[in-house]
Amino acid sequence: MYADFDLVIPETLDEALEALAGAVGGGNGGTQPLAGGTNMIVDLRARRVAPSRLVGLGRLDGLRGIRIADGRVRMGARTTMSDILRHPDLAGHAPSLVDQARVFGGQMVRNAATVAGNICSGSPAADAVPALLALDAEVTLASPSGTRVVPLSEFFLGYKRDARAPGELMTEIAWDIPPAHSSNRFYKLALRKGDAITVVGVAVALAAEDGKCGTARIALGAVAPIVKRATAAEAMLCGQALTPELIDAAARQAVDDVDPIDDIRASAEYRRHCVHALTRRLVTQAWERLT
Amino acid sequence: MAETKTIALTINGRDRKVAAPANATLLETLRELGYFEVKSGCEKGDCGACAVLVDGEAIDSCLALTWTVAGRAVTTVAGLSLGGAKHPLIEAFEKSGAVQCGYCTPGLIVAAQSMLKDTPEPDDDDIRLGLSGNLCRCTGYTKVFDAVRDAAAVLRGAESQA
Amino acid sequence: MTGAPQDWTRAPNVNLRQVGKPLVRTDVPGKAQGRTRFAGDHVMPNMLHAKVLRAPKASARLTRLDAAKARALEGVVCVLTAADLADRRAATDIPGQTGRKRLATDQQILVRERVRYHGEPLALIAAETLALAERAADLIEYDLEPLPGVFDPVEALKPGAPIVQGTDNVVATYKVRKGDLEAGFAEAERVVENTFRTQFVEHAFLEPEVGLAWVDENEVINIRVSTQVIEHFRAIADALGVAHNQVRILGSMVGGGFGGKEDVTVEIYLALLAQATGRPVRLAYTREDSFFGHGKRHPFVITHRTGVTQDGRITAVQITMTADAGAYVFLSPYVLLYAVVAGPGPYRIDNVHIDARAVATNNMYTSAFRGFGAAQACVAHEQQMDEIAKELGLDRLELRRRNFLRTGDEIATGYAIESAVWSDDCMTKAWAALGERAPEDGPVKIGRGVATYQQSYGRITWLHDTSEAWVGVEIDATVVVRSGVTDIGAGQVSALAQIAAELLGVSLGEVTVYNSDSATTPLAGTTTATRALYMTGNAVHLAAEALRGRLIGRAAEEFGVAPSEVDLAESRAFVIDAPDKSMALKDLVGICASEGIHRSELAMFRAPFTGEIDPETGQGRVHPDYAFGAHAVEVAVDTETGEVTVLKSVGAHDVGQAINPAAVAGQIEGGAAQGQGYALSEAMIYRDGELMTPSFSEYLIPTAMDMPRVQSIILESRSGLGPFGAKGIGEPALTPVAPAIANAVADAIGRRVFELPITPERIVMALREAEPRKGPR
Repeated sequence: MYADFDLVIPETLDEALEALAGAVGGGNGGTQPLAGGTNMIVDLRARRVAPSRLVGLGRLDGLRGIRIADGRVRMGARTTMSDILRHPDLAGHAPSLVDQARVFGGQMVRNAATVAGNICSGSPAADAVPALLALDAEVTLASPSGTRVVPLSEFFLGYKRDARAPGELMTEIAWDIPPAHSSNRFYKLALRKGDAITVVGVAVALAAEDGKCGTARIALGAVAPIVKRATAAEAMLCGQALTPELIDAAARQAVDDVDPIDDIRASAEYRRHCVHALTRRLVTQAWERLT
Repeated sequence: MAETKTIALTINGRDRKVAAPANATLLETLRELGYFEVKSGCEKGDCGACAVLVDGEAIDSCLALTWTVAGRAVTTVAGLSLGGAKHPLIEAFEKSGAVQCGYCTPGLIVAAQSMLKDTPEPDDDDIRLGLSGNLCRCTGYTKVFDAVRDAAAVLRGAESQA
Repeated sequence: MTGAPQDWTRAPNVNLRQVGKPLVRTDVPGKAQGRTRFAGDHVMPNMLHAKVLRAPKASARLTRLDAAKARALEGVVCVLTAADLADRRAATDIPGQTGRKRLATDQQILVRERVRYHGEPLALIAAETLALAERAADLIEYDLEPLPGVFDPVEALKPGAPIVQGTDNVVATYKVRKGDLEAGFAEAERVVENTFRTQFVEHAFLEPEVGLAWVDENEVINIRVSTQVIEHFRAIADALGVAHNQVRILGSMVGGGFGGKEDVTVEIYLALLAQATGRPVRLAYTREDSFFGHGKRHPFVITHRTGVTQDGRITAVQITMTADAGAYVFLSPYVLLYAVVAGPGPYRIDNVHIDARAVATNNMYTSAFRGFGAAQACVAHEQQMDEIAKELGLDRLELRRRNFLRTGDEIATGYAIESAVWSDDCMTKAWAALGERAPEDGPVKIGRGVATYQQSYGRITWLHDTSEAWVGVEIDATVVVRSGVTDIGAGQVSALAQIAAELLGVSLGEVTVYNSDSATTPLAGTTTATRALYMTGNAVHLAAEALRGRLIGRAAEEFGVAPSEVDLAESRAFVIDAPDKSMALKDLVGICASEGIHRSELAMFRAPFTGEIDPETGQGRVHPDYAFGAHAVEVAVDTETGEVTVLKSVGAHDVGQAINPAAVAGQIEGGAAQGQGYALSEAMIYRDGELMTPSFSEYLIPTAMDMPRVQSIILESRSGLGPFGAKGIGEPALTPVAPAIANAVADAIGRRVFELPITPERIVMALREAEPRKGPR
């Protein structure tokens, strides 16, 4: 490969944090973490980034794996999409996350790509993000000076900008297991069924209380500079018994919550159309499961 | 210039010391060493022609830096049949007519092997999912589905006898 | 079911032992086991690595090009620019076999002054490593002054449009004037007019272009390259200014071609660099290079105006076609001709009027692609048939049945079909194979579509196509075939082995085929135009039959019977009615060897030769023969999102005789996938000539998740001109697929999207329009 950089492969998290300390976010000239490589190597080859040093995380086995205990799911940052598919329990309470993993790239990419790598790519089309946003996930950021937990909903600051301080490494993604009367769904609309970049990604999570919608989460991918929640639409659903009319109105509201662009895959107009159609469909399906 | 160092790799069952620069991908290293069955098709993880097994799991070798797989076992399609007997997937790809130009075939077989580890009794949709990262422009995949199902049955038979 | 031959009654071949069997192709084990060396899998000591620097603009003037810094970089051995190439130009015309004067299509090899398309090569670099070659490319300085470009063929025809080629941008025109159009329309009770559009499409073979060149001790430039056409050694020699016998092309198994390796790709660059450096040079295109580095499928705009009686008889058709030729001529004139010949479809229409033109623009140049114009024509004529049926309230299959060509009928160019025309049988069988209709579910609607076609096999008859092959029997009774044929993945080589095995009474494993070397294998002509089996299969058949005659003659002498009483099988010669009278082939060959009986044969097969068609009327013979068949699909369309799922896909084709039915099915299945991509997801998008989709994450060919199991129905009329009555299947497999899918989508949603690809967005927009959409006039 043409790109020129140093590569260090630490054996422990502390070594990794040490190596990353002072790293400049954004990529050029600085130090960057390297996990599955499915974005980084492509960007290096395309010269979209030119770090002078990469810190390979492949030996940090402690960062890989899914632990479910005490009502909480804790996912190591290096957990791969295939790990999500293989896990015996996730499909039960986080089908949205499992469904996104199924349509995440091809098998080889799923075997390598990590959840944290997907989140930190900053791509508005990152498929793991809508599902995790709708699950109210939090991320743990570590540096030699300690760790902090940031809600994923506050992690993205703008297109390819996030809350990581220079040198901070994402080590864990965690969320509470959704309550019993809840349902979550994900759908990826793309121009091909296998291994394609998302045109519109929609994740919905609903919880029911006394026949009404208790909490509602609608997260939308590839329709704004960042993956974002349709909070106004969510608010319309909370505390209501959901009718087709209300769901449709909320889905229309979701369209106002996004700001899609025209690109080679689709027009902004079509993306808005699909935000409406898919939000309505997923909320309806999630609600049907609860009633 | 990127630093070069010597790392240990087990390739197709053989322990090797391999000199590679920091920026070398596993694809580049393997082809440099003469493992020409690992094909370059896109160098960005879109096509799967360069798939190899690393500790039994298929990855796109174009997306892995060689240093990051140090100490691990790398297997190409040519390493599947070690021990004499032709691997059932290779046998099935031949018999089913699942090979046309053959350029994607080594990657397809490697991906199928990796998929069967998780899904030993796949239906067509499992196979579609497992092979969605392997582009093939010649076959339309129909005979690939046949080949993988046939091989899976043979592998299950071998498993139950063992 | 309409049953067996409609008009064709030739008796089937008898006693086929090898041909017609779904044998494991000879090339397959090596490929499946990873042993096959493709062109990129060869290296040489002291080898250099090459890189092509490409222009990042589509229309510009090169005002400065300075390679000094690149040349000064240590490890850079050679940088070539147009200034180094004196008057060198390269032909882009179809490779001839007769020395006949080419069309005036020669183009610059590297940009001298004018950049005409995005990606046109500016410089060639050879360096000790690929990384150094890439660095050198960065160090080449150049200035491009933007020039007005033209990016639409209709715009390119307007007065004052920037001129890209010739004096008016028109690179080819064809017309057909058959019958009396006005009388035909006068007879019509309805006239249906629609316009259909197709897009730029990429071949997307998995093996990017690659080659390795070196100059040997005889000053011969050797080029081992992934190509469909080893006969390009002539054009390469002409471009280099050396004699034809000073360039040798060695092929390898080709990692997919589909027409995209039909033109010269890396060969001239390699030859120039090897010549300049005196060292072996390897050039491997990246995927991005490949997207920039070869011609695409022509976008067409095709308008059909069809006159039809109330009971569905087509009385007249007027067709106009405009194809985007892109920046250079390449095979545009021929692609346009194929589109014209296939224009009305496989229907008997007495009054036909076609005007077609290919127009230069500053888009990527367009050239050969499986289906070669006939595929674009089929997209139009088959959608038009469905629109006519809708207009008449007639069943879509019935409308086709009332108009299908029959053997003896004239096609648009006035040539009367001599072989079987089993369109109806194929269509009926494909449709029936769809079985029970999938249920509809909420917004998801189900639709079905069918398309039929008329696709030539074999080259244009005025190219005077020939193919040579050599067949020999070794003393141990194994068989050697030597043929220049290139194998692009369809089993071209294995089919030759199967034919030789059949005629010489051995098994497939006892035949070795040496192929694809312009120095040592007889020239077979190109692997293009669905001609390899037809032409080279016949050449092998001729050679093997001559050899068989000699072997049988000598055996008959031995047995004391007439030669007609002797057959060869299972490596033995025997008397047909007294099989105990037999001898091992090895012993027979031994006798022949000791008696000096010639154990090999070099044969030439000649296609029908004609002159050109009448330029005013388009009447005359264009091709040796045509194949007919059908493809049927069932789709599910999500009317809320516009997503299409192909649920069932069935190809039914009369292949004449399947040499290897498994290989034929493979062609049908692969054609179904490639046609599905053409219909639904594939588009090379150029904005102001600049390519927006230079990778497999933007250019979307079908994955395993997109494909249903494809069903293949093989019909065998044994009426073709190929060996054992074979026709061809390479291109026919693709041609009807996209229009079948377009028709199925229209059936599902009640509206038609008149432009490929039929993306989810276009479906949603079509459904949104209050009024039924008409094609743009």
